[in-house]
Amino acid sequence: MFEIGFNETGAVAVKGRLDAAQAETAQEFLDDVADACILDLAALEYISSAGLGVLLRTHKRLMGGQSGLELVNVNKHIADIFRYSGFDKLFIIKTA
Amino acid sequence: MKKRYRRNFDQIQVIVEDTGRFFSEQGITDSLRMKVDLSIEELFVNMVTYNTETESDILIEMNALDGGIEVSLTDFDVERFDPTLAGDVDINAPLSDRTPGGLGLYLVLKMADSIHYEYDERKSKITFTNRVVGD
Repeated sequence: MFEIGFNETGAVAVKGRLDAAQAETAQEFLDDVADACILDLAALEYISSAGLGVLLRTHKRLMGGQSGLELVNVNKHIADIFRYSGFDKLFIIKTA
Repeated sequence: MKKRYRRNFDQIQVIVEDTGRFFSEQGITDSLRMKVDLSIEELFVNMVTYNTETESDILIEMNALDGGIEVSLTDFDVERFDPTLAGDVDINAPLSDRTPGGLGLYLVLKMADSIHYEYDERKSKITFTNRVVGD
């Protein structure tokens, strides 16, 4: 199961498994984000390279406008994937 | 466990469910799930995406090891492609130079404790193992 949407704080909440089957859904949602954005990953259980690609494409687009993505409430397993991928050097990441 | 899967991303969810069942039945620690799920998905997606000359189902086999798991994915009637020779990714590159391409196989190679490729009679088979750290 995968869900993405704005939560009550205005952050984008991502829930479930962001895999290759769900990457297009996530990308379509994030393509409509036009300014700096906080991604709340508290309920993100899993991410593969397809999901990482969505984050990277969105971050690069937003950084073109001097904003970008901030990844918050990242659990240990997801943080490990970000570290293996070098995303810890590209994004502001706040662990849970 | 030995099962064939259609060449479609909608099979990822089925594979995840089958993997969870296998872990539970074999008493394999959930601490390996993220690595195993990710490696299976990346290799499966790579076969589906790039081995477009075949319509054969992809065979996935799982065997419990002492303190871990061995997983094989086999694609039939395809050209040779050895994922263990995939190019490196510069994870220290600045954002402007980063692209999503190649990250999947890079992660598989990074996370597997061992990985082995075989190619014979147009059959492409990749096998990896993951074990609990310290075992």
